[in-house]
Amino acid sequence: MTTAVADTHEHHDDHGPAKGIGRWLFSTNHKDIGTMYLIFSLTMFFIGGAMAMVIRSELAVPGLQFVHPEFFNSMTTMHALIMVFGAVMPAFVGLANWMIPLMIGAPDMALPRMNNWSFWILPVAFGILLSTLFMPGGGPASGWTMYPPLVLQTGDAFPFLIFSVHLMGLSSIMGAINVIVTIINMRAPDMTLLKMPMFVWTWLITAYLLIAVMPVLAGAVTMLLTDQFFGTSFFLAAGGGDPVMFQHIFWFFGHPEVYIMILPAFGVVSEIIPTFARKKLFGHDSMVYAASCIAFLSFIVWAHHMFTVGMPLTGQLFFMFATMLIAVPTGVKIFNWVATMWRGAMTFETPMLFSLAFVFLFTIGGFSGLMLAIAPADIQYHDTYFVVAHFHYVLVPGSVFAIMAGAYYWLPKWTGHMYNETLGKVHFWASTIFVNLTFFPMHFLGLAGMPRRIPDYSTQFADFNTMASIGAFGFGLSQLIFVWVLVTARKGEKATDRVWEGSHGLEWTVPSPAPYHTFDTPPKARIANESFE
Amino acid sequence: MDDAERRKKIRRTTLIVAAIAIAFYVGFIMMGVLRS
Repeated sequence: MTTAVADTHEHHDDHGPAKGIGRWLFSTNHKDIGTMYLIFSLTMFFIGGAMAMVIRSELAVPGLQFVHPEFFNSMTTMHALIMVFGAVMPAFVGLANWMIPLMIGAPDMALPRMNNWSFWILPVAFGILLSTLFMPGGGPASGWTMYPPLVLQTGDAFPFLIFSVHLMGLSSIMGAINVIVTIINMRAPDMTLLKMPMFVWTWLITAYLLIAVMPVLAGAVTMLLTDQFFGTSFFLAAGGGDPVMFQHIFWFFGHPEVYIMILPAFGVVSEIIPTFARKKLFGHDSMVYAASCIAFLSFIVWAHHMFTVGMPLTGQLFFMFATMLIAVPTGVKIFNWVATMWRGAMTFETPMLFSLAFVFLFTIGGFSGLMLAIAPADIQYHDTYFVVAHFHYVLVPGSVFAIMAGAYYWLPKWTGHMYNETLGKVHFWASTIFVNLTFFPMHFLGLAGMPRRIPDYSTQFADFNTMASIGAFGFGLSQLIFVWVLVTARKGEKATDRVWEGSHGLEWTVPSPAPYHTFDTPPKARIANESFE
Repeated sequence: MDDAERRKKIRRTTLIVAAIAIAFYVGFIMMGVLRS
């Protein structure tokens, strides 16, 4: 199995990684860039998390406690922008950078210099965005959806917000181009499309989604910019424009964006569950078709985010039923993961624990999504904490747990050492308990009528809010365990090449840690494919 | 597939995908122009 690897790094003994800061600034190596994406993402998780702590501190008890309402609105806006564009998306791009070339037997990404650019645009974009907090008028406070005309009341921060969103989009588009070009052109000779691992498949589909919708967001914010500074009236009713059109355009981007954040998570979980169930993934091809189906449907459901703006009954019915239809391919995936585990020789290492929690808790988020899809019910739920509960269940025990699962799963391959399994399990249980304590009560708050994006509330909502705040602080502190696991990762016992007993695929045929250069000579994918049959 | 042919294919795929992205950007702005 290691034959393909044996001759991969002998050509590169003379030019390993550059020394000093230059290695990171000018790197075109997919592993270095993947590492930078992951570190950047973790940093953003903590910055966005600190903002969540401000929000939960303010909401811990009724009344205004710590911050002005304007700053509170700024915190909710920045928290969302940072978590979506700075934390979750870059984390998956980091995993893609590290693992896709290893999984398909490519020496690197197809466009390595563009890869460097894709990454280094991000710190600039978020530096600009965070700098708005110190500007006159404060940071953007209109919500991450940036609806006009409210967003046009943003102070000096407005052009910086628009510029940073453009930069984030540019980075994502360049990253997506790289993923598509790499997967289409750089696969090992024997690796046909349907033989690709699920993580690669889900990323290929995600990259197409990115290509289609990130330019739409860029177009929308460009029009906001011209409305504010160049006298146009795309969205200004006073000049003949239509503010609702912004919502249509935004959600044409925004709903596929949800799947951009969850499809790679499906891919990660689809790699991990077979490994720890010691069985092949049940229904690989059906998983591919289900993911493609979800991606297609994501383009025709956007208006379920805006049932309350008023639309014809046929429109409501179309978007309601199209949204419900997504449950079918998603159900296929859940069924296949359960079927993979069925009668498997399962063990419960940290990556598997996070993956199992993902399957269970993401399903809760999916079900509340189905409830929100019902147009007449949504008119009641709209803009309540029920929506906040729904999308946090999808994104935290959904996307974030999958990122954690992936990090634990591939960490030994990256560092060459096993992480501390006991600490990993403590991290998992603390995260799982506190994430539910944070977000489950929000369902009840929403059903009882508590609106979202408010710094104060009626005393009837006090108990559940206090519970949520305790949970949020517990969840935030639990993540420090993860940082400690990372810091001490190199102290663990030496990892084998295969790392996990049940692992299969090309990435496990290279040594641990993965050499700086791998697969200079294309491997035979057949070797890896047969290893599990 | 030799190296030159692979480079050619990489360039072609890059251009196609980039063109799709630009088309979506320009297309949606044009839709805004036509509607307003």
